[in-house]
Amino acid sequence: MSYALVVSEVRRGIFEERNLDSIGLCALLGKDAILLIPEGDYGMNGQLVDGLLKAKVEEAVFLNPLNMVKILEKVMVARGKPDTIVLTNSSSGNELASYAAGYFNLPIITDVNSYDKEQGIFYKSYYSDKIFGEFKPSGDGTSIVTVRSGSFKEFAADKGAAPSVETIEDVAVSTARTFMEFVEEEKTDVDITKAEFLLSLGRGIGNKDEIPDYEELAGMLKAVISGSRPVIDKLWLPKARQVGTSGKTVKPKVYLAMGISGAFQHIAGMKDSDCIIAVNKDAEAPIFQYAHYGIIADIHKVRDKLKDILKG
Amino acid sequence: MVTQAQQTQTRVLTCIQCGKCTGSCPESGRTPFNIRMLMRKKQFQSVVEESIPWYCTSCGACTIRCPRDVKPSEVIIEMRAALVENGSIPVTIQKALENTFVQKNPWGRSRAKRGAWFEKMEIKIPHVSETESKRLLFTCCIQAYDPRCMVIPVNVATILNKAGVEFGVLGEEEACCGNEIRRIGESGLFEELQEENKAAFEEYGVKEIIALSPHCMNALKKEYGDLGIKISHYTEVLAPLITYGTIIPKGSYSKKVIYHDPCFLGKQNGIFDEPRDILKSVNGLELLEYSRSRENSMCCEGGGGRMFFEVEATYQRNAEVRVQEAVDRGAEEIATSCPFCVMTLEDPATEKGIKVKELSEILMEVL
Amino acid sequence: MNLIVFTKRVPATQEEELRITGEGKAVDLSKVPFKVNDWDNYSVEEAVRIVEKSGGAVTAVSIGDAESDEVLRRAIAMGAKDGFLVETGDILHDPNARATLIQNFLKKENVPFDAIFTGVQSEDDQFGAVGGILAAKLGLPFVSMVIGIDAFESDHAIVRRELEGGLQERVKVMLPCVMSIQTGINEPRYVSIMGIRKASKVERKVFKAADYQENVVSKIDVAKWVYPPKQAGATILSGELEGACKELLGILKEKGVYQ
Repeated sequence: MSYALVVSEVRRGIFEERNLDSIGLCALLGKDAILLIPEGDYGMNGQLVDGLLKAKVEEAVFLNPLNMVKILEKVMVARGKPDTIVLTNSSSGNELASYAAGYFNLPIITDVNSYDKEQGIFYKSYYSDKIFGEFKPSGDGTSIVTVRSGSFKEFAADKGAAPSVETIEDVAVSTARTFMEFVEEEKTDVDITKAEFLLSLGRGIGNKDEIPDYEELAGMLKAVISGSRPVIDKLWLPKARQVGTSGKTVKPKVYLAMGISGAFQHIAGMKDSDCIIAVNKDAEAPIFQYAHYGIIADIHKVRDKLKDILKG
Repeated sequence: MVTQAQQTQTRVLTCIQCGKCTGSCPESGRTPFNIRMLMRKKQFQSVVEESIPWYCTSCGACTIRCPRDVKPSEVIIEMRAALVENGSIPVTIQKALENTFVQKNPWGRSRAKRGAWFEKMEIKIPHVSETESKRLLFTCCIQAYDPRCMVIPVNVATILNKAGVEFGVLGEEEACCGNEIRRIGESGLFEELQEENKAAFEEYGVKEIIALSPHCMNALKKEYGDLGIKISHYTEVLAPLITYGTIIPKGSYSKKVIYHDPCFLGKQNGIFDEPRDILKSVNGLELLEYSRSRENSMCCEGGGGRMFFEVEATYQRNAEVRVQEAVDRGAEEIATSCPFCVMTLEDPATEKGIKVKELSEILMEVL
Repeated sequence: MNLIVFTKRVPATQEEELRITGEGKAVDLSKVPFKVNDWDNYSVEEAVRIVEKSGGAVTAVSIGDAESDEVLRRAIAMGAKDGFLVETGDILHDPNARATLIQNFLKKENVPFDAIFTGVQSEDDQFGAVGGILAAKLGLPFVSMVIGIDAFESDHAIVRRELEGGLQERVKVMLPCVMSIQTGINEPRYVSIMGIRKASKVERKVFKAADYQENVVSKIDVAKWVYPPKQAGATILSGELEGACKELLGILKEKGVYQ
């Protein structure tokens, strides 16, 4: 019976939201989705998939590619070879996927962002995301696919029936690579280049005294504060927070620029952000040429309104 | 055979520590950068802290005023060159150099788009090879790519066209002039840029170059060797055209405008009058002068790689001082003729509610 | 300590507008400038730092056309001892094919190594799979997304992997192994033009990819190249302040930065 095997991504007891993209792709592939997951209570809705394969191993063992291929061997013995093995294109997902591709000698297509059901084509981006390639695995055997976060989530649906459950046991654990511990990001030194969400302040804030209110907003949004050169020059923000040619180059998921006009030297430091949202009362501000979204309004008013909405 | 380094060492030994350099330096007294002290250290070949050489803005005042032939600006470039070869330079300067290597401009913008500014114009700007005069308008990286400054080449091209002055461009075949690159100490990269531009000049038989930026003019005129090509800044071309009536500024511009002499145009290349002549030809324009003007003009701190490097010291920037003086003197606008000065003065100027205009912007309003 | 570092010459497409030709058959890279793959730059720097500290040598290897010599010279200028070019005029899209080619080359030429470094991915194809496939084929342990090397001993290494959201995991891996190196692991030294010129004096050995083709087969087909769906200019969130702000929060939720 053909099926698609989803190797789930779990971490510290959490079933990552990205897994929904993997499950969603299975729906598009028109295959039964069998989810491989370490045993334990992950609080995931089992009805999203047709079957659960619970591996009797610790999470850290599960996520180790050297062990994962052994688990996969057992899965294939128990259930036969899947048509497709789907993983998230995350740090662990890609690691597991590429190792498995080499181990089992399987075709692999990574970072897939869409799928054409009729033609069986996987779309993958190339060249700084400027071109998409239409990829197909050659031959009929099992292939491995990793999916881009957010690309297929919408297709994951509750199937209205409990999944079948099997266990995978007696997995040989490798000593060639072992997990030691998690390391949390240091809270002391701010590295704005690592932040996923930057709330960036420009000269438009007008006064140093406005900053605490922006910091409060940033806290509520879980954003990291950064700034453009004029703000740093005035010492309203420390140098480590500067974005621009003479500061840092950042590529966060979201860059929310408030009161920043968009001088060339600043744009150069953030133009590759996934999503740029600009707030400025000047409709002609150059930053709107680079932003994906914009609000033309007084930034203090936007700040206060956002805080009101978040509080209430 | 005496090497460059040996020559420098010999010259440095003639330094009498008079302090004129430090007295002229825009950085001294407010930052840890002390040029006289650096010459002393060079005399004794002492260790210089790595961040210090990056303060220099390449204004050239020290070299111009030195009573000996120490050429402190060159000594700074050598110090930087040593750091560059060692690989330990500020990350942002590294980025600027790497960008220049790949895309031939320090911003890393696409080389293919270097001609975007004239492609959008209504008048057709020919490639210099298609012209009879073989007169080249050398754009400059900032003016080719920065949206604020892109208006300058468009303006100058329009004015020259109106005046019937034939010229052409190189478009994407133009590479960065390398003026800042040489001052950052990357002599190898400077040589590559120079070779590339020179090859283009030779291939197309360029006879004359009009540079839009004083920095480009400086490099092409003084650091590219003897090209056998006449090189001028665009103000040197426009001023006589106005004097002889080829261009007639008709409109009125009733504003008090203070002129800021850019270092690379003014003190380093002696072009003080042409920009002033242009401004004086404008009806209604009241030309004001800074207390420090002409040879003593205060450096805006945009040059010498300072565009790509943030210094550690916190102090009131020259640009702010300049803007404040403009305000104090009752100026409504600051006029200048260098894109670096435009960019550096504009931030503090906007804050104080005063505008910064490049000369061509004023001319366009009255022609 | 012998380290092999793979380095790739890639088109600098960040700033460029790319054209698809032949009705989707090819992407026109003729006017695009080329550069060293960013990840590989960090990778070379990391390897050089390790041997500078513990002794040994770094061998830089590049699979590509003759122009790829550029990235080998760069690696040598940074401190690599040797540069090997496995010359091929074809673009090998399939990471399986690339990894097999590499495996054949390493075996046939008997290149000694304690560890192999690759970059996490290359800027052109963005696959990020060669390192993992190669490791599995060589029967070696693999660690990807290495953002820090805490210890590098003769028989093992302790490294940190970059996970999501600022979290890292510390992992012990026995040598020999394969690691894919993440950007930001270090600050690569600047390589001056003069430095690259000096590096030209070191011989870079050229091998022909045609000699290592056993089992090198593409397991994936690229049917066509297409442009991504068009994106409009900045969408202005208009209307009342409250509405615009709510829309903004909606966008933040969609992007996954705010729950």
